[in-house]
Amino acid sequence: MSSESIKVEGDFPVHFRYTAGLAGEKFLREIKDNARLVASRCLKCGLNYLPPRISCERCMSRLEEYVPIESVGVVAAVTRCRYDPEGKELAEPVPLALVRFPSAHGGLIHRVKGTVQVGDKVRVIFKEKLSRIGFILDIEHFEKVR
Amino acid sequence: MTKQIPQPWGTPLKEEALQKHNVLTVDYKPKVKYAWASGIAIGRFLNGLKDGQIIGTRCDNCGRVVVPPRIFCEWCFKPTESWVKLPDTGTVNTFSISYITADTTRIKTPIIPAVIQIDETTNAGLLHLIENSKPDAVKIGMKVKAAWLPASERKGSITDIKHFAPVR
Repeated sequence: MSSESIKVEGDFPVHFRYTAGLAGEKFLREIKDNARLVASRCLKCGLNYLPPRISCERCMSRLEEYVPIESVGVVAAVTRCRYDPEGKELAEPVPLALVRFPSAHGGLIHRVKGTVQVGDKVRVIFKEKLSRIGFILDIEHFEKVR
Repeated sequence: MTKQIPQPWGTPLKEEALQKHNVLTVDYKPKVKYAWASGIAIGRFLNGLKDGQIIGTRCDNCGRVVVPPRIFCEWCFKPTESWVKLPDTGTVNTFSISYITADTTRIKTPIIPAVIQIDETTNAGLLHLIENSKPDAVKIGMKVKAAWLPASERKGSITDIKHFAPVR
């Protein structure tokens, strides 16, 4: 009798469109137009937030000042991603790193070229201007500074 | 509390800004799949629909006939082992006139979802659509009959019944 139970399958058509918000928009446009990182600065606390945000998490001030951040940072953590967003195993694992920048509070997670270790100095490598669209993948990867 | 919060900092987005690409956007279409086991009773029910037949169960204890079928009577807590072939006619138990679709698209011609109490059953019904009727002509108690997909297109789904239509 139990063989009469059948598997019923289907899918949901789901389509998301995300915007980056005020600070995120500024961040992505600076990458797209000028190939540089910007942080939002809290004048009261002296913190530079990277990625930028519109409010200071310490004093709740509205942040409207943006400062460029030098694109060389230090690896804080590394991992290798073995699965795609659908849970399928990737042919090649993708190395990822969390990189912190000396003058900024926060950090960026992105792909890494080659092998890096915690403490290594890495540089943000941007794509060519024409292929930058205002997206986080306008950053090609982090590359070790020799 | 709300008084202490000044004007919110967010910037309301207008549809136009998205359409004209004034703001950067990222599109994402996740593959959202699901699969579930029908269980014995719904499995039989769906296979029945494939054959153009509505199948229900009768509780031998209280005599109640239900569709969709189930393997126990939730009134008596006894297994229901009598399978019954039911007619594809019924009565409108309740209905709604909807000017939006399941994905919230506005439509000019309304859809009419209804609970159809299948003839020869007790106190149970199928949720389906009523067609071939003017919205204001649909009434609770109205007699309806299933309109089936051709046998070759049926695949063991509730949509093997295209809709229910008034019996003229």
